[in-house]
Amino acid sequence: MMDKTININISGTLFQIDEEAFRILRDYLLAINNRFRNVQGGLETIEDIESRIAEIFQSQKGLAGVITKENVEAMIAIIGKPEDFDHGDYEAVPPPYTSQKKRMYRNPEDKIISGVSSGIGAYLNTDPVIFRVLFVLFTVFFGTGFLLYIILWIALPEAKSDSQKREMYGDNFHSARSQNLSTDKINNVNGSVNTPSYSSSSSVGNAFNEIFRAIGRVCYIILRIFLIIIGVSLVLTGFLAILSFVLVFIFHYPGTFSTHEFGTNFVYIPDFLNYIVTPSAAPWIIALTTIAFILPMLALIYWGVKMIFWFRAKDGVVSLAGFVIWVLSVAALSIILFNEGISFAETGKISSEKIFTHTPDTLYIKAGKKVSDLKFDKELSLTHEAYTVFINEEKKEIYIRPHLNVNNFWDNVVKVEVRKRSTGRTQFEAMKKAEGLSYNFDITGDTLILDEYFEIPSGRKWSADNVSIDLSIPVGTILKLDSASENLLHAYSGYDNDDNTFSPGWEYRNRIWTLTDEGIKPLSTHSSK
Amino acid sequence: MKRKLIKLHIMDLENNKAQMRKGILEYCILSVLSRSSCYASDIIKELKEAEVIVVEGTLYPLLTRQKNAGLLSYRWEESQQGPPRKYYELTEEGRNYLAELDKSWQGLVDSVNQIRTR
Repeated sequence: MMDKTININISGTLFQIDEEAFRILRDYLLAINNRFRNVQGGLETIEDIESRIAEIFQSQKGLAGVITKENVEAMIAIIGKPEDFDHGDYEAVPPPYTSQKKRMYRNPEDKIISGVSSGIGAYLNTDPVIFRVLFVLFTVFFGTGFLLYIILWIALPEAKSDSQKREMYGDNFHSARSQNLSTDKINNVNGSVNTPSYSSSSSVGNAFNEIFRAIGRVCYIILRIFLIIIGVSLVLTGFLAILSFVLVFIFHYPGTFSTHEFGTNFVYIPDFLNYIVTPSAAPWIIALTTIAFILPMLALIYWGVKMIFWFRAKDGVVSLAGFVIWVLSVAALSIILFNEGISFAETGKISSEKIFTHTPDTLYIKAGKKVSDLKFDKELSLTHEAYTVFINEEKKEIYIRPHLNVNNFWDNVVKVEVRKRSTGRTQFEAMKKAEGLSYNFDITGDTLILDEYFEIPSGRKWSADNVSIDLSIPVGTILKLDSASENLLHAYSGYDNDDNTFSPGWEYRNRIWTLTDEGIKPLSTHSSK
Repeated sequence: MKRKLIKLHIMDLENNKAQMRKGILEYCILSVLSRSSCYASDIIKELKEAEVIVVEGTLYPLLTRQKNAGLLSYRWEESQQGPPRKYYELTEEGRNYLAELDKSWQGLVDSVNQIRTR
């Protein structure tokens, strides 16, 4: 039983070879040929290798005998396969891995606007013209195509490096590449490297491509103008926001966070923050607020600049880091603020009262401790709440002017009730705090002595503390106040007058009041000014 | 599949290694030939022993290139066992080139050693 043998001529020497070995040898020679055909001096190399093949076959079999599969494989093991010739003549060694993970990129090699269609084409191994047509077609439907295109443009990275191009083409990379290389050759011969060559494309595809190229340029210009406008507005917005933030928070520029009730009080939030929240938390709150606010603004400016100058930067890591920092700041801020908020959750009240031993016709009210004797750095008035806060920065003390309510007491008795109120995490804590508020009042004969302010213990933060003084007197009793104690009355907000003949205000200095059925009223309209 | 030509700028490690090995290989070929003229198979034998190459196919394109660059010349020698074989030798230019390579190689080795032993 003889296999069919073939006579072949290798490098001038005749050999007999069996059919199976011939097939392997033929493929091998073809591979060698492909490998060196396009290399300078490649034909000579091919000859040398063929000559060496002949030599090996001769040393194995002599001139007689049939070359078998084993002979051929032994020969290939000696000379090696083309892919084992580990050096580059003008192209690189193929990557060590053969199977590529595939990713979608924008293809910078074949683009009309940004290479989105071409990238999808490479990903799906299809003609990009199809996607160009689809994008234009779907733009007719409420601009969905246009929108999708922009989204993809932003979302898809450009395949810049070679490894990205490999990922873009996936397993077709080498075929795409070799095709391109041969195209390269053709182009070089024709001397028209710049003209895109679509050797295998249909004429319809070509026409489409030309049309889309023209439309693409116009679209591109319009889009660029559009993006520049958006970019400029983003930059301006971000810049102005940061500027105002810096002005308010760093240069204490008044205006934004101030109240102008009497044209004197400017509330500068960071100053008061120390007294509202746990002092150790205040710097954190300010820092985190700054980050939470500034970061998005910086991002806005950066996006704007990017849109204006239209560059792509390797900013993925920075952006991600920025985003993570921002999220963490916001989360931390929320936790801190929540924690601070809890400390206002429960309210505790303590009240004490004193009753005059006899009921005077004229009641004198004098101030004990007076605000005018206080040293304070900041004053904050919440007139609607009848609440004025004085802060001594050095001693870290807070003084608050309480309000005095004068009510009708049906019994013929004069009674003073002082209610202290604080908030805290628990009711017990709130009670403790309320107890800690220092406020003195006393009765001597016909005189009621009231402190003009109450004091929060030094170092303790503000906990919505309040003291209210309820003075109950029979109707018709005359009240004579000194100027400091009248301030307490000015804070009186229970007085409601429809015809506006009287409204408590700084201008009004009467000091003699009386209680009527409708509430207290100045006894004479003469101003003491 | 229609794509514009791709200009490849591959600067990855594999390529660097290949380039380096190719440079060294060319240097080795010239060094072998500097001792005596010989057949391709002699060069191959020596390079294989030194484990500079694994397969013979690597050598042939390099020989062709060096010959075309004027560093080598060959003459045909009859062989008793088969077809005539190329018998390679260094040209004058090749010797000068090798001398330059020797110098730069020594320089490189010194530099690398200096850095590595510091």
